[in-house]
Amino acid sequence: MISFRVDGRSVVPPYLQIVQQVRQALRMGRLDVGDQLPPVREVVAATAVNPNTVLKAYRDLEREGLIEARAGHGTFVLKRPPGPPPGTHSRLGRSLARWVQQAREAGLDDESIESLLRVQLRAAAEKEEIA
Amino acid sequence: MTAVIQTRGLSKRYRRVRALSDCTITVPEGRISALIGPNGAGKTTLLRLLSGLAKPTAGEMAVLGGTPRQDPVFLAEIGYLAQEMPLYRRFTADDHIGIGAHLNRRWDAGYAQDRLRSLNIPLDRAAGSLSGGQRAQVALALTLAKKPGLLLLDEPVAALDPLARRHFLATLAEAVADGGLTVVLSSHLLADLERVADHLILLAASRVQLCGDIETLLAEHHVLVGPRKDTTAIEKARTVVQAVRTARQTTLLVRGNAPVIDPDWESDEVGLEEMVLAYMGQDAAPAPAQLTTVGEDQ
Amino acid sequence: MTWLVWRQHRAQFYVGAALLAALAVLLLITGLQMASQYHSAIAACTANRSCTDQGGLFLGNRAVGFLVIMTLGTPVLAGLFWGAPLVAAELETGTSQFAWMQSVTRRRWLAVKTGWMLLAAAVWGGVISALVTWWSGPNNALHLDAFNNGRFDIMGLVPVAYALFAMALGIAAGTLLRRTLPAMAVTLAGFVAVRAVIALWLRPHYMSAVTVTYNLLRGYTPAGSYWQLGQGVLDPNGHLVPVPNGPAAFGVAMGYLPASCAPLNGGATKVAPSCAQALGRFHGVITYQPAGRYWAFQGIETGIFVLLAAILITVAAVVLLRRDA
Repeated sequence: MISFRVDGRSVVPPYLQIVQQVRQALRMGRLDVGDQLPPVREVVAATAVNPNTVLKAYRDLEREGLIEARAGHGTFVLKRPPGPPPGTHSRLGRSLARWVQQAREAGLDDESIESLLRVQLRAAAEKEEIA
Repeated sequence: MTAVIQTRGLSKRYRRVRALSDCTITVPEGRISALIGPNGAGKTTLLRLLSGLAKPTAGEMAVLGGTPRQDPVFLAEIGYLAQEMPLYRRFTADDHIGIGAHLNRRWDAGYAQDRLRSLNIPLDRAAGSLSGGQRAQVALALTLAKKPGLLLLDEPVAALDPLARRHFLATLAEAVADGGLTVVLSSHLLADLERVADHLILLAASRVQLCGDIETLLAEHHVLVGPRKDTTAIEKARTVVQAVRTARQTTLLVRGNAPVIDPDWESDEVGLEEMVLAYMGQDAAPAPAQLTTVGEDQ
Repeated sequence: MTWLVWRQHRAQFYVGAALLAALAVLLLITGLQMASQYHSAIAACTANRSCTDQGGLFLGNRAVGFLVIMTLGTPVLAGLFWGAPLVAAELETGTSQFAWMQSVTRRRWLAVKTGWMLLAAAVWGGVISALVTWWSGPNNALHLDAFNNGRFDIMGLVPVAYALFAMALGIAAGTLLRRTLPAMAVTLAGFVAVRAVIALWLRPHYMSAVTVTYNLLRGYTPAGSYWQLGQGVLDPNGHLVPVPNGPAAFGVAMGYLPASCAPLNGGATKVAPSCAQALGRFHGVITYQPAGRYWAFQGIETGIFVLLAAILITVAAVVLLRRDA
């Protein structure tokens, strides 16, 4: 079963961290359709997070259609989030590693790299909007 | 949602000192409410009033539907943990569980024993020779074993190391997850409260400054950053909680949802710590923005 | 709640029971010895018709006799070690709050604790008193001093009342002062002060004393174990004669008497007629409480101390229940 990590210092609110971790686990293949999610009580015991927070995360995921609560049995994964097949991430990750290597050799520091990435993401988003 | 706690104008005065003034709060059922405030703000007083250990000098309150009173039925519904976590020094955890069984109507001895065993706390050692963290867990287990409807905890994690704190808060959250329990706990450690609490009561200068669900409160507050200029227009539409002005910049923490039209102002979300510190007043540490600006000026 | 009181005070109970047992063994053994000593002496003197002369006979063991006198202090021990910490120690450590938050109302908490402790105090005082009273039987018959200060206080009913008073005082002090050591100090001081005041200034006046004037030569001794409050010699005018510190006869200084009385000071038993005539103008006076009033006095003093105990417990209860926890 998946185990959650909630970072109290993160800018991301706890419930969103849980949602993201479920989505990520589904993308990476650690969670599969039909797997059971830990009950609220267990998540709370492991992370010392407010039960309502976990409930909210599970509700959001349910609304997205990713999970389903079956009365008396627990909460189960319904489907994977839309996105590329699992292998995509590792493939893209490798080409990204090459690009980062190039950027470093060119003399870019982490901040410049992040700033470049942000600019590209924004540009891509604008292009999608126009399209 | 029924309110487990509802007070109006609650005040407590000791001779000349006003420990609590005009306190009006509501705590809905099932919440874990963080009671925050500087030392001497009245947190302990409020908890003692709610539990019936002290009597108010003015105002009224309804706790679990009634006034706190010397009555076994009411006492059975309330769990109160004082800061000192009193236990009988010579008695073991098992002894305490036995005492609880004799004194309480509702008592789940098995719960207490399972709870402590799962934390590896020896049941047969005298309470006086347990560590602070272990004592806190024993006290909490005993309080939970009577299956109260409301838990009032006064700085329960103050003397605990980070791991013990984590275990304590996890136990608490688990008990709330089981249902039928509302918790009010006072603490200085905002990081802990941020993850475990969903309701906030902020006391400063013996008065209630904030009371409500944390999510709602955070949504109502924003930080506005802009140039050093006149802010009357902004102040008219919303409440300014804290204003920091330097030679070239003004930072306002405001409460109110009116949109900011002026393009000079940047609106940002506010975090729990920032909001709490702003309300706690002058004694708070200076906002980070002020520090960096001072450096720039030099 | 009773169960909790038992668990908390189990050790104290065992210590107390052990002390009582030890005392019982000691007094039983020596008491039986003394009783047989006494009975043989009586049998012997009855044969010789010399029973009035037995006042000098000393019975028993000096050390045990001393211990018996020391039981004057046993009531206050109950107040000091069981009473003072009862509420104070729990207020100091905060365990009172623990109990109150375990669904026990303050009223029930105090009532059960106090009730058992008062009972324990009564038993403590009662058992010691019973043992001492029984043990003192021969001595009392011999010396007829049961009504005197010091003896009155350790026998009969009053030790029970003293113990109840001491316990109540300890509990009240602990409740008001909220700390064990100051409460113990106040209990000790208060107990001694109240006992002294009542025994020395109040007790003689429970009932109006009886005063009898008598012929000096014939003398007068009230019957039984009476309590002598005062004694003296009245001059012909009815005024008390100061106690002579030089040669005297029948309590009258030689200066007031003719020379014919002089041999009396040397130990002669025959009184010359002129001396007798002179002495006849003086009278002996004795103020006392008759022996028959012994139990009345025991009852009155018991009542006083029980009343004081009740007042103290009431005060403690009112203060505890009104005060914030």
